[in-house]
Amino acid sequence: MQSDMIAADRTRWVLSGLSLSFLGLAVGFYFNLWGHLAPQSPIPLVDTNFISNATARMSLADLTRTGGDTSDFDCYTCHEKNKPIKLKFNAEGDVVVPTEHSDIVMAHGRHHRNNNCFNCHDETNLELLQTRDGHHLKIIDSPALCGSCHGPTYRDWEAGVHGRTSGYWRRELGPIERKACPSCHNPHAPAFPPRQPAPGPHLLHPLAQGGVRPERNE
Amino acid sequence: MSEPTKSSGSGKSTAETSRRNFLRTSAVLASGIASLAAALSPLRELSDCTTVERFLQNHYKELTPEEMQKVLARITREVEQQYHIRPHVKDYKPMDGVEFVYCLNLTRCIGCRKCVHACVAENNQSRNPEIQYIRVLRMPHGSLDLEKGDHNYAPASVPEKGYFYMPVQCQQCRQPACVKVCPVKATWQESDGITVIDYDWCIGCRYCEAACPYFARRFNWTKPSIPAERLNPNMSYLGNRPRRQGNMEKCHFCIQRTRAGRYPACVEVCPAGARKFGNALDPESEVSYILRNKRVFIQLKEEVGTSPRFFYYFDV
Repeated sequence: MQSDMIAADRTRWVLSGLSLSFLGLAVGFYFNLWGHLAPQSPIPLVDTNFISNATARMSLADLTRTGGDTSDFDCYTCHEKNKPIKLKFNAEGDVVVPTEHSDIVMAHGRHHRNNNCFNCHDETNLELLQTRDGHHLKIIDSPALCGSCHGPTYRDWEAGVHGRTSGYWRRELGPIERKACPSCHNPHAPAFPPRQPAPGPHLLHPLAQGGVRPERNE
Repeated sequence: MSEPTKSSGSGKSTAETSRRNFLRTSAVLASGIASLAAALSPLRELSDCTTVERFLQNHYKELTPEEMQKVLARITREVEQQYHIRPHVKDYKPMDGVEFVYCLNLTRCIGCRKCVHACVAENNQSRNPEIQYIRVLRMPHGSLDLEKGDHNYAPASVPEKGYFYMPVQCQQCRQPACVKVCPVKATWQESDGITVIDYDWCIGCRYCEAACPYFARRFNWTKPSIPAERLNPNMSYLGNRPRRQGNMEKCHFCIQRTRAGRYPACVEVCPAGARKFGNALDPESEVSYILRNKRVFIQLKEEVGTSPRFFYYFDV
């Protein structure tokens, strides 16, 4: 009898204590006494340039296909047909690019032997290219000309290993698109130009980003 | 918890005591339960709870075609509900006579990280917190010591003098350590060589993340956030459908593209043409040409015996 009463009292006390503590917790959550962790700093969405599959530059073939401005390739709007062109060279033997062509930077190769426009362009018909063995090519067919000097690279390109291939790896299911040399390389300065890198990873933990410990706020 | 009512004593007083006791006890109990419910209120902020349908779903390999149709319909419904975009969810199966291999030209890679972001866009990875399958390591010339690699480089322009760049992603190993450690068989190797994850079967124990020698697996610590305008609606069950909190994920060679015959997103976007992908069993493919003719120098961490299907090579 006596022990039963004590047990009942104890149960009551424990239950009331538990209720009170739960009530305290509820009040705490309701009034947000502990605050929330500061939210993660927002990460800006990446510039869509970094997810576009545009090549490094536009070749004449790319411009024709996309309906771009090809007026740069209409040589005879300025030049006169059948009039021979005289190249000027400076004291070092480098070709002097005329002001009309000031957008051209001559930087093909680290030596200075490739400074003659007519190594590649045909002096009798400016809308054509010429190979060293006297073949004439249209400007959009330039890979064969490039390949006449860059043999191993041309061989890789033909196998689809140099340069970008896009489309379908499974030929039966769809076409493959292979970019030609001038879609990435400027023929006058073919070294691949440096570019801005896309943003690096934002780490999950602010401290890892060199930030400060997150503030607790109300 | 209730009062012992059988306690002895005269009949009347017992009845009185028990009524009073009963009222008191039930008042305490009621207020106790109410405060317990209130104290558990933070649980209401838990979202993305599993549904009965998803909970009762079978393992991917045990799903009949009809069940798979139901599952795809459920995923379509869930995505539409969350993003208000109707996705095309398919279950792409491996092709016969195909073993995918990836080759990466270290001479050509300029470290521009376009592959990283094209991958994020294609595969619906979380934008905040950020999940990226590809890490581009900047390595000093003359060394292949991964300890010297840095993936936080941020110069004004790349490539930088004195460094080369080495992108690392899932190597699709022939002996995948991640598959070996998975306690619930939620990740396995398919016949075309892609190691896949059944996101609905994954329990999020992260054993695979610990086992992977290439740091290729990513864990969704929080609910992934993807802005609806950047969601890729072409989805596959084992590939780029949106993941949930507690899911493991990793590169799967863009299953939704490659099993439809197309190149992965990282190949399509590489401005330097450093990334090559194809079928190693086809002697005419680019990757076969590379493996035959180029200086293919490593499978990364060859000594750990995972035998990757991802090859790094040099020109020259």
